[in-house]
Amino acid sequence: MSHALRTLTTGVLIAQRSVSAQPLLRPVSAVNTRAQQRSRSDGVKGSESQAFDVSLLEFLVCPLSKKPLRYDERSNELINEELGIAYPIIDGIPNMIPQDARMIHKTAATEKPTES
Amino acid sequence: MAVSIRTLALRFFSDSTRNIHNVSGCRIKHLRCRAGITGCRGYSDSTEGRSTHFGFQTVPEGEKAEKVYKVFESVAKKYDVMNDAMSLGIHRLWKDTLLHIMNPQPGLRLLDTAGGTGDISFRFLEYTRSMYDRQQRLRAKSHQTPSWQDITDHYVSDDAGPPRSCAVVCDINKEMLKVGKQRAEKAGITTGLSWVVGNAEELPFDDDQFDIYTIAFGIRNVTHIEQALQEAFRVLKPGGRFMCLEFSKVTNPLLARLYDTYSFQMIPVLGEVIAGDWKSYQYLVESIRKFPDQETFKEMIEDAGFFCVQYFNLTGGIVAIHSGFKL
Repeated sequence: MSHALRTLTTGVLIAQRSVSAQPLLRPVSAVNTRAQQRSRSDGVKGSESQAFDVSLLEFLVCPLSKKPLRYDERSNELINEELGIAYPIIDGIPNMIPQDARMIHKTAATEKPTES
Repeated sequence: MAVSIRTLALRFFSDSTRNIHNVSGCRIKHLRCRAGITGCRGYSDSTEGRSTHFGFQTVPEGEKAEKVYKVFESVAKKYDVMNDAMSLGIHRLWKDTLLHIMNPQPGLRLLDTAGGTGDISFRFLEYTRSMYDRQQRLRAKSHQTPSWQDITDHYVSDDAGPPRSCAVVCDINKEMLKVGKQRAEKAGITTGLSWVVGNAEELPFDDDQFDIYTIAFGIRNVTHIEQALQEAFRVLKPGGRFMCLEFSKVTNPLLARLYDTYSFQMIPVLGEVIAGDWKSYQYLVESIRKFPDQETFKEMIEDAGFFCVQYFNLTGGIVAIHSGFKL
């Protein structure tokens, strides 16, 4: 009888422990303070939030040719070698609209095609 | 006696529908005066440029995307506030219903097209994580008195960790994604969420990549809906699900009249007061009227190659969720 009661209470405790985990959208205080500390220590906005997520390259392709892209860290662009176009990454968000892409020519430097 | 009442009722209904058409006619004139007549050149299909609808206006196809872009660029900052004001918060219930019908298991990959400020993606991540927690709790409850074999199995399998659900938010508009990204940072969501600027008609994703494709309140803004549906079919894995949440035709005639009155009288006014933008919200209510009804849209989805297409009417048909599978 007491053993059954003990398992019942431990079961309830286990359930409570997992239930008390905060739902995702309410900010966990630890994450918040860490983020605040990071923004306070960096003069500029923390580079982590602006960096491009390279795991996206698994399925991100050129919208025109559907071929994989190469990430160029220096110019912060995604390059399609075949067609010679570069898609810019702004604030860590890649811009995959063909009209906003930059043409890469060996002769002409930066020739931006205007939006249609 | 009954006949006269019926004729009176018929005349009343026809009068009121005529009134609404007059009201919307006045609104169109009003809109044209504000927008300038230069915006609407109606080319017929026989001439060089093909035309499409932008709300009740007719515009060349090439212009529609730009005009839609400008609409959402101007409303981006106040988008969430306006959604709450216009729908009296009911849009949250609609989106929650979409997630319940979707019932995603942990570890799936979602493409949230026209995701804008990320409402669907946030809900997807929260749903899968709470479902994972629930599954863990059930597993723990059934393991109250584990044998030594169970304990070793548990330790071995625990290396994998929770399956990673991830959501990719794709939108044609940078401003909307920027607002969404700020919301994510404020809510403390760090993993499992990616942002991409892309066109729903030309998705920058490889074939057979996503388990679920959603487009919530976005497909009516796309210039070529069939192309967006074909792209959705392409990027979904076999067995993947297409889900579309969109305004649709109201089934009940009385509700339809109330809804029309509310749409054309209240919503642009709210738009002007809260967001300072009458035209964009006028476009919103007009674009809803131009969108095909539930059955027609269901046929369009079937034409793109999806199977088991069905739709669910919410709030009397004001909003409908269409769902199809790539098999």
